[in-house]
Amino acid sequence: MSAATDAAAPESAALGAPLYIAWQITNECNLACLHCIEESGPGKAFPDELSDEQVFGVLRQIVEMDIPYLSFSGGEPMLHPRFFDMVAYVCDHGVQLKVETNGNYLDPDACDRLKLLGVKAVQVSLDGASAATFNRMRVRGDFDRTVAGIRNLRDAGVPIEINYCPSSFSVREAERTVDLAAELGAESFYSGRTMYTGNAVKTWQKLTPDEDQYTVLFDLLRRKSRDYAGRMRVHFHEMGLLEELRYRVQHPAALLIVLPNGLVKLINALPFVCGDLRTQSLAEIWHNFRRAWRDPRVTQYVDDLAHDAKTTAQLHRWISV
Amino acid sequence: MQLGKFVKFRKEQFGGVLFETRSEKVFTLNETGAAIIGELVAGAEPATIADRLRARFQDPDNTLENDVAALIAELQSKGLLAESPPA
Repeated sequence: MSAATDAAAPESAALGAPLYIAWQITNECNLACLHCIEESGPGKAFPDELSDEQVFGVLRQIVEMDIPYLSFSGGEPMLHPRFFDMVAYVCDHGVQLKVETNGNYLDPDACDRLKLLGVKAVQVSLDGASAATFNRMRVRGDFDRTVAGIRNLRDAGVPIEINYCPSSFSVREAERTVDLAAELGAESFYSGRTMYTGNAVKTWQKLTPDEDQYTVLFDLLRRKSRDYAGRMRVHFHEMGLLEELRYRVQHPAALLIVLPNGLVKLINALPFVCGDLRTQSLAEIWHNFRRAWRDPRVTQYVDDLAHDAKTTAQLHRWISV
Repeated sequence: MQLGKFVKFRKEQFGGVLFETRSEKVFTLNETGAAIIGELVAGAEPATIADRLRARFQDPDNTLENDVAALIAELQSKGLLAESPPA
């Protein structure tokens, strides 16, 4: 007999419920970022987003299924009219919650409320270290306001995470962006490759870093990861999308992506939908999720990506599996 | 002894999982490990856990006490368990 632990994640098929739900609670956003994979923006809320009753019904199921970890994103999640009620419900029931925001609405009062409610962390997108670069990427965005919002989080004592989406015109500021994140008190810094989908399809030529820039960026992030060890975790996904999807087909993460209208995706980078929370329970969808990853159309889609990487331009044409 | 601030435990058919949500790392526990963590989460003192579990698990080689101590030490070293605040 031994009481072993294994640092490898269990296969999702063995789990009775998801471990993590990433919920895009609205597609409405005050910004219209060049790279937004959801094509969010002003007036871009889905016409069929979940009603309050449906939202709290899903939250109740998350609690009942003992799902330990949830994130709210968007669009801009803080624009959801019931945002703070949803945060309160989740935190009151012991689910760890991360809020992923553009930082525009992080005034001192909002940050105090987030601290009081007990969110695990707030992740803010910071795609540069200067107003010129940040505001170019985040159309309608305001660098100074975002940085002020992050400072408000720090002052309120809310754990901060920073997400940096590289672009051809921001990579030269990558080092300053990491340093700024640390100076602002971030616990974690995330980055990776920009995805060819959503708004990025239209802006790709001027947006995406080339491979040389990515090489320099990842070398820098490796160095920063060492420099900031023990102070700020620097995470980055160097793996290309195809490589990651091939791995995920074999080892699906125990993660559901919930869209604002209640459709549930297998993973953000694939168009496949395995359930609808308006008509199905979360337990039914979890059962289907584990089957859906084995659907031959999923494998075929990933194989096709090897021949045409731009297939991801169609991610919003959902396919039920 | 209690779970770390950012650690969640859930029982599963094969045992259980510990999810460290800051690093987003998942640790798998076998049935014995999950039972030990279940006792800790319920408030049991580490020194009493082996006795409490003997009713549920065969322990012909009398290793349960060592297993409990080893698991707790391992999880403490990984930051998954922390000392409880004084009452």
